Amino acid sequence: MSETVVAPAPVEVQKGWGGQSVRRKEDKRLLQGEGVFVDDVKRHGMGYLHFVRSPYAHAHITRVDVSAAEALDGVYGTLTGEEVAALTDPFFQISSAPGANIKDYSLAVGKVRYVGEPVVAVVAETRELARDASELVEVDYEPLPAVVDARTAQDADAPVLHDDAEGNLMWTGLYSWGDLDAAFAEADRVIEIPELHFHRFNSTPLECDGALVEYNRGVSQWTIHTNNQFPGFAAIMMGPAMKVGLDKLRFVTQDIGGGFGNKITSHPQLVVCCLLARKLNRPVQWTEWRTDFHLSMSHGNERWFHDTKVAVKDDGTLLGFRTKALDDAGAWLRYEPLGGVIWAQVTPGMYRWRHIELDFTQVATNKAPVSPNRGYSRMQHLWFTERVIDIVARELDLDPVEVRKRNYIRAEDMPYETPNGCVYDSGDYAAMLDLALELIDYASIPARRTEAKERGRLLGVGIGSTLDSGTNNFGQSRLINPELQFSGNNEVATVKLDIFGEIVVTLGTTPQGQGHETTAAQVVADILNCSPDDVHVRAGHDSYWNSHAGFSGTYASQFAVTGLSAVKGATEMLAAEIKKLAGAVFGGVPAEALELADGGVRITENPEAFLPFMACGAIVNANNAGLPEDLDVTLNCRYVYRPPFEVPDVERKFGNLTLTYATQIHVAVVEIDPETGAYEIVDYAAVDDCGKRINPQIVEGQVMGATAQALGAAIHETFEYDEDGNLLTPNFYDYHVPHALDMPPLATGATESPSPFTPLGTKGMGEGGGAGIHAVCAAVQDATGAIVTDSHNPYQRVWQLLQGAQS
Amino acid sequence: MLLREVEYAKPGSVAEALELLAANDGARALAGGQTLINVMKARAASPDMLVDLNGLEELRGIELAADGTLTIGAMATYTEIMGSAEAKARPILGEVCATIADVQVRNRGTIGGNVCSNDPTNHLPPLMVAIGARMTIVGAGGEREVPADEFFLGVYLTAVGLGELLTRITIPAGKKDGFAAVTLGAEGTCICNAAASVNGSVRVALGCVDAVPVVLTADSPEEIPEAVRAANLMPPSDVHATSEYRIHLAEVLATRAAQEAAAR
Amino acid sequence: MDVTVTVNGTTYEREVEPRKLLIHFLRDDLDLTGSHIGCDTGNCGACSVIYDGVLVKSCMLLAVQANGASIETVEGLSEDEELTPLQQAFNEHHGLQCGYCTPGMLMSATALLRENPSPSEDEIKKALQGNICRCTGYWNIVEAVKSVAK
Repeated sequence: MSETVVAPAPVEVQKGWGGQSVRRKEDKRLLQGEGVFVDDVKRHGMGYLHFVRSPYAHAHITRVDVSAAEALDGVYGTLTGEEVAALTDPFFQISSAPGANIKDYSLAVGKVRYVGEPVVAVVAETRELARDASELVEVDYEPLPAVVDARTAQDADAPVLHDDAEGNLMWTGLYSWGDLDAAFAEADRVIEIPELHFHRFNSTPLECDGALVEYNRGVSQWTIHTNNQFPGFAAIMMGPAMKVGLDKLRFVTQDIGGGFGNKITSHPQLVVCCLLARKLNRPVQWTEWRTDFHLSMSHGNERWFHDTKVAVKDDGTLLGFRTKALDDAGAWLRYEPLGGVIWAQVTPGMYRWRHIELDFTQVATNKAPVSPNRGYSRMQHLWFTERVIDIVARELDLDPVEVRKRNYIRAEDMPYETPNGCVYDSGDYAAMLDLALELIDYASIPARRTEAKERGRLLGVGIGSTLDSGTNNFGQSRLINPELQFSGNNEVATVKLDIFGEIVVTLGTTPQGQGHETTAAQVVADILNCSPDDVHVRAGHDSYWNSHAGFSGTYASQFAVTGLSAVKGATEMLAAEIKKLAGAVFGGVPAEALELADGGVRITENPEAFLPFMACGAIVNANNAGLPEDLDVTLNCRYVYRPPFEVPDVERKFGNLTLTYATQIHVAVVEIDPETGAYEIVDYAAVDDCGKRINPQIVEGQVMGATAQALGAAIHETFEYDEDGNLLTPNFYDYHVPHALDMPPLATGATESPSPFTPLGTKGMGEGGGAGIHAVCAAVQDATGAIVTDSHNPYQRVWQLLQGAQS
Repeated sequence: MLLREVEYAKPGSVAEALELLAANDGARALAGGQTLINVMKARAASPDMLVDLNGLEELRGIELAADGTLTIGAMATYTEIMGSAEAKARPILGEVCATIADVQVRNRGTIGGNVCSNDPTNHLPPLMVAIGARMTIVGAGGEREVPADEFFLGVYLTAVGLGELLTRITIPAGKKDGFAAVTLGAEGTCICNAAASVNGSVRVALGCVDAVPVVLTADSPEEIPEAVRAANLMPPSDVHATSEYRIHLAEVLATRAAQEAAAR
Repeated sequence: MDVTVTVNGTTYEREVEPRKLLIHFLRDDLDLTGSHIGCDTGNCGACSVIYDGVLVKSCMLLAVQANGASIETVEGLSEDEELTPLQQAFNEHHGLQCGYCTPGMLMSATALLRENPSPSEDEIKKALQGNICRCTGYWNIVEAVKSVAK
């Protein structure tokens, strides 16, 4: 039995920087084109890297000959899979058997397993030459049949990707809580849904992956300028593979052009850059092109839900469900199979059912490796629960609004322990739904439906409710593999007064547009009683500034909790030290008699006794003779925030897996042209609750961005493969993302249910959980009268739904 | 993303351009570049030489004759067509150009490039066929005029041969035109499109369903669906549409384009 | 081949291969890294610049084509370090998150406002249609441009 300990009462953020939409510090440099993105970084003599990639989805490699490429004038060198296998160990596998047995190297060794897989790396004097030279690399392949449908990957005659795993099954686990048999017995009806499908797509950040890697021979140390958003994870994967200590890998990021989870698993390519930087004795620069990214990086989990059975009462009360989740991991397990447990952070979705069984199976296929994508694994599961709600409502001929309200977890139930021991901290879902319906003017829908009909259009309205679970307990990885030694979470920050009193903050996070510099400054300013303008937050991440905590990075909706709590902790330490120092300088004044104000520290009752921060910094750093011997003050404070977690119960698969639960509820209104199936979103509302908002404008920006991505995924975006394993949407020409003209009118709303578990009352947010996808599916179902079973509904599918609904 | 080596020339006259094209089988004309540069980035095609037409004033300009005939230089950009007072004599031209891609593409992309690349999803080939445009081609043999419905020969293939250039497009007077499309997102790539023109009878040209625009004629818009069915279309299936869905869209869009044309 | 190009008022003479894209010339040869690359099919607009007064995608032009041309990039928008009203509007309306699409957005908005100082919301969206953003959903960008329209 695990318990989430309630943190000491959240600090009431007094002075008001917290909660204000302070303008972002990041903006000036970005608006002037002075941001530093990884491709902007240059080093004298650097070589440009181009990957030779597999044209086959599945093939033996029978010969690799780089001699012609190396002979080309201007080519500095190459790296092959054979060299990689000699120089490195396979990457650590998170999975237990059989997935544990696969051997993952940073270039293909012996075999290729997806179109676009890197096979050879070529480095040359110019980008164009590296590209030219790559065409001179000779690789012979013996093509093999490919498996591209997860549903056939375990057939007896399915092509096997990894002989070491003896099949395409990578991981499987059965999750079961409550008493499903009793639930089915109590039910008035059991609703059966044979197949639901969540499709493969990702967030296509505008900037693709990249790195510039330098090797310092004298100290055998690499500096990796990159836009990887989770350097803590990259280091843990790369160090052992390269057989070097983690301190030899210095990660430096500054500006990152979007991440959304898709920049977590570039470690294989980073290893290649490191090996080449050492081999060639020159900096190596890698730019991933858009097509490379689509072919090979971070597809979101594609998941089938088969043989779903839902126990319901006639009044719409949901008692429980059983389903079989089949997850398509693609060719390699790079962050998987964690998706096999991360969904369990939101096992019941937003609903009160207590009897749940989910049989999770993950298989390998000849497609790009899957890794986290905004809403990672929770989005798929929450889509499933939302589909169930709307299908149940349709089958019982009940209003989807009423069915939700009947089954939503209630505000008075919070903190709410789910069937598997997760604790939803706070939230009032019914009130948020009411707000969203008001924003969309739900009462006017019947009239709008009639009016649309007169114009020959089918109008539909749909709700998408979702949770953004944030701040992971990495102990959940033990539910995947009991031998893993991971648990808890952490994040680090330092705050110091410099010699002249400048307030300097370093973060362990790797922001990709979330405004960390600004929100961190707001938190610091409130504690030191100054202005955010007085607080200098170093841009980006450098693992050498302050050895990062093991889980440092920006992912999984946690900065507002982990990052900002680390900042809060470090700043409180600094505030205490400033008072201690001043107390000593003032001749023994206790801390309670002092206050921070006006850029310094003073005796509250006697403000003339004032020591500016500049003096504090100067005294400690440059003028410290005569200070008491036992004065324990450095004014350079490092704090590691550790959320209160226990290791989950592996046997029962029970325990708290995430600290906070932000909520979003969206409503979409669509109009379909029934003759073509083409449709538009004509109205949209999104309501968010992420606890205390430090910067409401930044929070709203995240809601908007997640909405836009969800709409793109719902209507157009898909990574679709043909039967030979060729990706049919390998670039922005065919993979259509929303442009400005695609965006509907948007009304946003926000409520704040502070988290009782976090130092600031904040909750992580930003992933949005695909609420837009849920809402569009519901709206299409409403408009067409047909049951929607796929998360992806392009015009053709809507037209097919209409044909089916008619017959 | 990175092109193969290529030579580059910027002739100062059409004659010079023709000489360069004739002298080198691997030379290609560079118009707006909004298609060709992409093709070269993907290394799907790699000309040996690019003959840049952007300095040739002779290929620009839009003229309106007294009888309503429009002559549009092959290098006229979509933006120029949209902004041209002369081109408003045939309003469908500016209206369709305004839906192509985005401002940046419209500022460089040309009517000549659009028709000469003859991508089946392009807007202008079916439009030119529907309105009965005539293409003027110059080469070593002199100048000749090819009607639009003989100009498009195959995917990416037109009557402009090696060593030749499209110089202008002549469009007869008329206003009863229509265009309908289902696109990948607002103003995106066409999944299916149809252009129509009414001049007594109805003339429809379907895009996206074959290598070249498919022409249908009927006495009235009401007869268009039957005409589409009788055409026995066999469009390709791709990630955006099955063959069956495309045929259905063709029927719907052809009818809508015809109705729009008739109503003007 | 030799090219002479004026960028943000400064004239540069360089030797380049004909195959070099203008965006790579700006970023790699002239060290003007403010214009970005987000795709390889001319769809994303992150490379947008103003070229002889006209908005173009610089990944769809060769550097050699720009011989004699006058180009404006994001680095040339603000003089003496101060943000222009348009840039300030982006800051006020939170019209950027990661900032990667922002230079292209600014150039497109600049081109629009020069031609049409009082655009409607639809005209603004149409002007930005060639610029992909994955962070903001465009709503705040449109508000920012609207706020500086006359």
